[in-house]
Amino acid sequence: MTGGHRRILVVEDDPETAGQLTEQLASSGYLVDLATTGSEALSRAASRDYGVVTIDRMLPDIDGIAVMRQLRDDGISVPFLIISALGEVDDRVRGLRAGGDDYLVKPFSFVELLARLEALLRRSETVAKETILRVGDLAIDLISRSASRRGKELMLLPKEFQLLEYLVRNEGRVVSRAMLLQHVWDLHFDPSTNIIDVYVGRVRRKVDDQQAYPLIHTVRGVGYRLRAPG
Amino acid sequence: MRLAKLFPAKTVPAKMLLAKTLTSTTFRLALIAIGTFGVITAAIFAYVYLSTTSYVRSRSDRAILTEVASLKGAYERGGREGLVALVDAHLADKSFADHVYLLADPHQRVLAGNLRQWPQASTSSSGWIEFRGARTAPASGGQPLLRAVVQTFPNGDRLLAGLDIGDLDNFTGSIKLAVVSGAALIFALAAMASVLVTRRTVGRIEQINATSRAIMASGLDQRIPLRGSHDEWDRVAENLNQMLDRIQTLMGEVKQVSDNVAHDLRTPLTRMRGRLEKAYLGARAADSDQALIGDTIADLDAVLRIFASIVRIAQIETLARKAGFHTVNLVEIAGEVVELYDAAAEQDNTTLALRGAREVMVTGDRDLIFDAIANLVDNALKHGRAGGKVVVACEIIDGQPAVSVADDGPGIPPCEREHVFKRFYRLEQSRYTPGNGLGLSLVAAVARLHGAHIEMCDNAPGLKVKLAFAPPAS
Repeated sequence: MTGGHRRILVVEDDPETAGQLTEQLASSGYLVDLATTGSEALSRAASRDYGVVTIDRMLPDIDGIAVMRQLRDDGISVPFLIISALGEVDDRVRGLRAGGDDYLVKPFSFVELLARLEALLRRSETVAKETILRVGDLAIDLISRSASRRGKELMLLPKEFQLLEYLVRNEGRVVSRAMLLQHVWDLHFDPSTNIIDVYVGRVRRKVDDQQAYPLIHTVRGVGYRLRAPG
Repeated sequence: MRLAKLFPAKTVPAKMLLAKTLTSTTFRLALIAIGTFGVITAAIFAYVYLSTTSYVRSRSDRAILTEVASLKGAYERGGREGLVALVDAHLADKSFADHVYLLADPHQRVLAGNLRQWPQASTSSSGWIEFRGARTAPASGGQPLLRAVVQTFPNGDRLLAGLDIGDLDNFTGSIKLAVVSGAALIFALAAMASVLVTRRTVGRIEQINATSRAIMASGLDQRIPLRGSHDEWDRVAENLNQMLDRIQTLMGEVKQVSDNVAHDLRTPLTRMRGRLEKAYLGARAADSDQALIGDTIADLDAVLRIFASIVRIAQIETLARKAGFHTVNLVEIAGEVVELYDAAAEQDNTTLALRGAREVMVTGDRDLIFDAIANLVDNALKHGRAGGKVVVACEIIDGQPAVSVADDGPGIPPCEREHVFKRFYRLEQSRYTPGNGLGLSLVAAVARLHGAHIEMCDNAPGLKVKLAFAPPAS
């Protein structure tokens, strides 16, 4: 990862939100630039190499989506994290998400934003070509869709495997419940129950029970993180 | 309500109704139609009249010309005497009874014929003359219409020979009368009919208008009266009434929702406020502050989730998502829901099973159908019997794709069933179980968007909720 990829462009017109974001991102170790209008975002994104651009849908001059389209047309491939105050994320945003970007609906928790940023930053790194991913003594085989710890196979249902794969791919990073719903179940809403926790609980029992150390950790108030000790 | 009595839907003052009738578009259109129709009718009648009379007249004219030719022959053969003799002979002959003759010398003296004197009427350039006069032999009563040809001979004598066309005159007169009175009658009937039809139309529209005014003035409880005639006006009234019913239901729901939102949001907000106030007034303590902030964020999240659910339901109800409809397999979606909830069911010792067909295709939005089934399963797990059984079944019943979720819990009393789809509605027995009362109204909204029908029935014991979809568009 180059230094440039720790640099994030925040496009946000509300001064208080912009202040909170830049401050919290800076304290998490990012270099943050702020743009308060669409045209400023266009010129900044064009003149510098950013790891991620977070962009608000509603800007005083140009719509956030239009800014993104403009930058894409100019050949700038930086990942976008759309932040929308509109209740339901509409199909336009959903379509863009398919193009490699992500979205968050206001209000959001900062940890959720951080988790999403991490995932987007990682996506711009080189993609591993391996078919077997390993974390500690866990190995998952992407071809045979099977997982094992210390060589002993884990009995996972297809969705359970997908969930574990997503956690492994984001090893060491926090993954929120909404991200799990989005990537494992392709659902774009919050079912507002503890159903994900119960589900992860079962996967965790299958993965971590009677093992030397736990891999799946709960991150209070946000979601989960898969990490090997040490 | 008092204003509603000022605009009673049924009685519209007769004078006002007449004025509205005469100024209405329908009436103007009727007038144009009558005018066009009238001109065409008049033209047809005029043609009938003219062609009939000219046919009859041409027949009598031929007879006159034949007679004149034979008289002329008599003159040429026997001179004045021969002519007089023939005229007298004809006058004596009964088969020439309706003929008129008059032969006069250049001094206007009558030489022969059955007319007393030369007529005053002028002669046309071709020699034809038409006049009223009395014949002397055979004597005729009155002054019938006579038509004749005037012929002047080389010696200055003038001959008038013609026919009594009184019968023809009477015949054309009666045709004229029939044509004119027929046209007048048709006009009168058409005018009357158009006034009546327009009056009826205007009357019904006025009824609808009066009801609309009453609704604007007093409230949504007025309805347009039906006549029971099952005509297009009754159908319009029925549809408008149904629309009013729907609006009234929605208004009621909105009121119910705002009351419930106020109640459901006030509880966590009051709790947060109290907590923060206590912390604000008290001394700082790192541990308890941390816990307090954590609890407050959790409460805020709950409030935001309620908002998100309300917005989501509202958006589903705008029908905007129909654009994203695809053909999807209900079994696949239900299977994913069952898999997602399987862990939760296991925790409650409940068996969660998927039954039915392997493939049940419907046209719809996968996310929304998932959400609806997930809500039904969630409810079944929450309100069903601990250690019980929840069955999700996909099947095609009478060509209709359907998915049902059945539990074996206490069920819902029949009288409460229709209420559970209202936003924030919660049964007394489940006041204290988790949930915000929005789940089933989301299911109802999804069903409405998909044109699906929700059915609740007794699973003896327990509740079975069925979503019956329309067959997929091929």
